[in-house]
Amino acid sequence: MLSRRLFLQTSAAMAAAQTTAPKRLAIITTIYRYLSHAQHMGDRFLIGYPIEGAWHKPNIKVVSLYVDQKPEGDLSGVRAREFGFQVYPTIAETLRCGGDKLGVDAVLIIGEHGDYPRNDKGQVLYPRYEFFEQVVKVFEAEKRTVPVFNDKHLSYSFEKAKAMVDASRRLHFPMLAGSSLPVTWRLPAFDLPLGCRIDEALMVGVGGSDPMDFHALEAMQCMVERRGRGETGVKAVQLIEGDEVWKAGEQGRYSKALLSSALSRSDTPLGLSFEDSRPQDMVRDGVLPKLVAKPAAYFIEYKDGLKATLLMLDGALKDFNFAAKVRGMPEPQSTQFLLTPVPNVTYSACLMHKVEEMFESGVAPYPVERTLLVSGMLESCLTSKVQNHARLETPHLAVSYKAPAKSQFPQT
Amino acid sequence: MSTTTKRPKLAAVATTFFKYSHAQHIVDRFLDGYGWAGKHHRPRMDLVSLYVDQVNPKTDLSRERATRHPDMKIYPTIAEALTLGTGKLAVDGVVLIGEHGKYERNEKGQTKYPRWEFFEQIVDVYRKSGKSVPIFNDKHLSWNWEWARKMYDTSRELGFAFMAGSSLPVTWRTPSVEMPLGSRIREALCVCYGGVDSYDYHGLETIQCIVERRRGGESGVKWIQAYRGTQFWDAYEKGAWSRELMESALCRSHTLTPSRAGFNDTLPTTADMKRLVKDPVAYCYEHTDGLKCAMLLMSGLVRDFNFAAHVEGQRRPWSTQMYLPMPDGRTTLASFFSPLVNNMEPMFLTGKPTYPVERTLLTTGLTAAGVDSLFRKQVRVETPHLAIKYQPTKESTFWRT
Repeated sequence: MLSRRLFLQTSAAMAAAQTTAPKRLAIITTIYRYLSHAQHMGDRFLIGYPIEGAWHKPNIKVVSLYVDQKPEGDLSGVRAREFGFQVYPTIAETLRCGGDKLGVDAVLIIGEHGDYPRNDKGQVLYPRYEFFEQVVKVFEAEKRTVPVFNDKHLSYSFEKAKAMVDASRRLHFPMLAGSSLPVTWRLPAFDLPLGCRIDEALMVGVGGSDPMDFHALEAMQCMVERRGRGETGVKAVQLIEGDEVWKAGEQGRYSKALLSSALSRSDTPLGLSFEDSRPQDMVRDGVLPKLVAKPAAYFIEYKDGLKATLLMLDGALKDFNFAAKVRGMPEPQSTQFLLTPVPNVTYSACLMHKVEEMFESGVAPYPVERTLLVSGMLESCLTSKVQNHARLETPHLAVSYKAPAKSQFPQT
Repeated sequence: MSTTTKRPKLAAVATTFFKYSHAQHIVDRFLDGYGWAGKHHRPRMDLVSLYVDQVNPKTDLSRERATRHPDMKIYPTIAEALTLGTGKLAVDGVVLIGEHGKYERNEKGQTKYPRWEFFEQIVDVYRKSGKSVPIFNDKHLSWNWEWARKMYDTSRELGFAFMAGSSLPVTWRTPSVEMPLGSRIREALCVCYGGVDSYDYHGLETIQCIVERRRGGESGVKWIQAYRGTQFWDAYEKGAWSRELMESALCRSHTLTPSRAGFNDTLPTTADMKRLVKDPVAYCYEHTDGLKCAMLLMSGLVRDFNFAAHVEGQRRPWSTQMYLPMPDGRTTLASFFSPLVNNMEPMFLTGKPTYPVERTLLTTGLTAAGVDSLFRKQVRVETPHLAIKYQPTKESTFWRT
């Protein structure tokens, strides 16, 4: 949990950073191409980014880059020449900047995009763990560590994800990970009260697995982690698909009131709204089964009894919306996680601002355990999917952590 | 004013009704409801009649709406829409939507949307019936200042509640912040996009809904000067508006055109802006109390509405974006009409406007004066007629729930 004192220290560190020598950053990525995560996140450290109504230039110098693949449109060489850094052939050399000692003060790992195989669960086998492991090897050899950010989920495998977090704890280096959704704008700008009692939560997302379901699950997690005494983990998950999703709604496995509330936040309902822009009460009108050819429900049963559901509803809408029933609040609490338009994708500036904060202060603004838990939830849901949609007990997901006291989405 | 217990009956008077027209967005929210505060909200009133001035059979949606909502009838005249064929005023409120449709442009480039003409027909029914009911007028009052002023004066003379304006003052803000009431604002601007006699008005409302909260409230505007093309850049170089505020506003945008190939989000240099913005337009104006404002139309650089101001006692500019979920490929709904309708509803229920129409009277006059300055080769136009005084609402009325 980020205390007020720690927050003030963090803010002071960010302010002090501007008067000290720039921190040296290594970027380790799969590909560096226009609109790849590496480009729109990495570039923020090269040319700055908009935040809080100003163009902010981090006091950080990118000194080295590793790119695993160089497809057509690769920008790594062009960027290196313009901004005066080197592209190295291995991760170890990137961290040592071609020398024999760790030559950087921070590491940004972006294992997203690029040509990698998928497993039988449909997970793209991005080599995030493998990249991280090589980083850790250098840390161990040098007996020195620096903060590491890992974009998106830690790994497609919980076991590997856990090993990553364990290494950061063992070697005592700050680590942050995850999606932009928890730190992007919200409509409305609202967070659940810390310590509230949540009766039920529901998230609506869209897009393919496993990139977009991860974003939706992490958005849901950053809301529900604020309940009670904090997160204690997940005891079972189940993923169902097709008409079973609608039947589950009829049977009350998820709240239709929450679904209706989440959809009321959408700016992109499809079907009749797409045809002639009329607003729709999609749940009452019963249009979802007509619009969504392949629905999926991800049921998450938490150890403390909370039930949360992610509905992936391709065909019904195009944005990400959350709703929860909170004890003591008569109406559902709901919000949209605003994904601002391409190409600016300013949500990635929000995320890199958090990363910069960790690089400067040495303190992660929110716990990496959130992303660890979500990585595991996603993997287990996708295992359920290929195991005849069975409910799976997840004793390995007893991940405990406390949500940051301070809300992390942009409010200024 | 007491809250009406029975469901008010409303008439809508519109120029035209097609997908994405203002009439479609507004009328549909009364007929079908809309997402509000986490629920599908249905207004506690019935839109029972509709007049549409121009019906294009290929694009019209009003007939489909009337078929699907048989309680709403389409009438051939404004008078009949208000009297429901009874000969006397038979509705409890009127929504006037004079936007879109094929109407002539004058020599200044103003589209002569018949808002005043519609309004006159509405108040004619009021006068004949010896009774008047609230009116909401979408956007500015009239392209013609004299007529706009008459609309305002008539509402005062007949004593009916009158609201008007754009979605910009009531939509989401990123960040979700309000100017504290009584702030000492030294300078303000809006960087936005679109054309003259259309989005310029939205930019002016963006500025006005914030600056009206300054110490002393609104006191009106003394003069306005427009700059276009090379004169825009000359004014920029000479510091006619603050570069710091302009940069701050740009840093609130979600739609900055990248100024370099291969980069997705860049802060443009002056040279970049000159290259990207083919037809820049500025309206610079000074309020009676000395506050200076600038509305900058920078099509090609941004596709959103961004506000910044210097506030005394604050080292850095105060800035935000008035966020419009636009149906330009980004959304399907234009949900910013939801807070607009949501602000109309209390007026139709209680007879009390949720924010002052004087704001829109002033921005109507500013739009006309800005257009006039452009037409008169970008001269400074004195605006003694815009000495419009009013106080803002204490409560914020933008979308926060």
